[in-house]
Amino acid sequence: MMETTVSEKKNSVKKAKESTTRNLAIGMVLFVVAVGVIFSVLSNKTNSHVAIPSSVSATDGYGIVFNKDAKTRIDIWEDFQCPHCREFEDIAGNYLNGLIRAGKIKAVFHPMTFIGPESILAASAAACTADNGKFLDMHTALYNNQPGSENSGTWTNATLKLLAITAGDTSKRTQSCIDAGKYTKWTNNVEADAAKKNVNSTPTLFINGVQLNQAHYLDLAALKKDLAAAGVK
Amino acid sequence: MKPGAKIQPWLTLIGRILLGAVLILAGYLKVKSPAEAQMAVRAYKLLPVTIANLFGLALPWLEMGAGLLLVVGLAVRYAAIFGGLLMLLFVGAISQAWARGLSIDCGCFGGGGQVAAGHTKYLQEILRDLGLTLTAIYLYRFPQGKFGIDKEDKEIELEPKNDGDHSE
Repeated sequence: MMETTVSEKKNSVKKAKESTTRNLAIGMVLFVVAVGVIFSVLSNKTNSHVAIPSSVSATDGYGIVFNKDAKTRIDIWEDFQCPHCREFEDIAGNYLNGLIRAGKIKAVFHPMTFIGPESILAASAAACTADNGKFLDMHTALYNNQPGSENSGTWTNATLKLLAITAGDTSKRTQSCIDAGKYTKWTNNVEADAAKKNVNSTPTLFINGVQLNQAHYLDLAALKKDLAAAGVK
Repeated sequence: MKPGAKIQPWLTLIGRILLGAVLILAGYLKVKSPAEAQMAVRAYKLLPVTIANLFGLALPWLEMGAGLLLVVGLAVRYAAIFGGLLMLLFVGAISQAWARGLSIDCGCFGGGGQVAAGHTKYLQEILRDLGLTLTAIYLYRFPQGKFGIDKEDKEIELEPKNDGDHSE
């Protein structure tokens, strides 16, 4: 009788210890989850202290702005690695670039980076050329040289520097800007702003704040009509 | 001992690893590309944008946490409830997207957002998640399995049963 009590006591002490260890382990998992959530939330917020290209402001959603005083405004959300963005560029790129160069529209480019690391490299390299007035050329060059598959290792700072030169931006400042990854953190701001604006696919085009009809992305005539209706002559 | 009582701990182990590994993988792939995970949640058009974005950031960590608990066999019952409810939530969300004619990828394992019409895989996604829901229900019913940390609890829970508790 006495023995049973002792062994029962030992057992219950053992069990109590085990259940403490167990609860501690569960608590640790929950703690790591909570820390992870907080980390994710903080690292995906816009940060006003990071370096941003000269034409960029928070009020324009951290996009790269052309012709800020033109009446008709377009906003383009794109990812340099996204195949549909390349198609859109093939169809409408020349036309839109022409309007921008002629000063007929205010254009705000929001290079998103959700496809991955090489999108970040490409977007920040493009932002470097923006400081030198060569963004549109770099924009075209990036799509013309879009790698066949995403994050394949094709786009590195070295290859993007060459691409910038090919696009006509030979300035040393751009080269060192790309090397330094000066605007990689800015891309996070663009992404966070796009999240706030409910941009769920790329390319997404807004004309004066109204999203383009899905069928008009690959239909240049329809896009021209939409822009004419929005006041572009 | 009922027939099948011997095999049950092994089935529980398999279920834990299956559901746990799926959750860990799904969480890991999403946590690597948070912007895409947020986009996937927004594309369901179910939640207000702010909440959808928060959900997209929090969900991968919750999935990985629940998955880890299942794999090591800790608090299996709670993790199974969480995993099962999550799968039901996904089934509901995917179904409504299908019914509303949205063209999205479920974004279950990273990716997500809008896809071209005709490139949706709603039925496969729903069947997969229903299968995982059944797994979760099994784990809720039989949380004690092989190689689980919870194992020690079995004795505690079984003790009252030895005093004439006429349960299964």
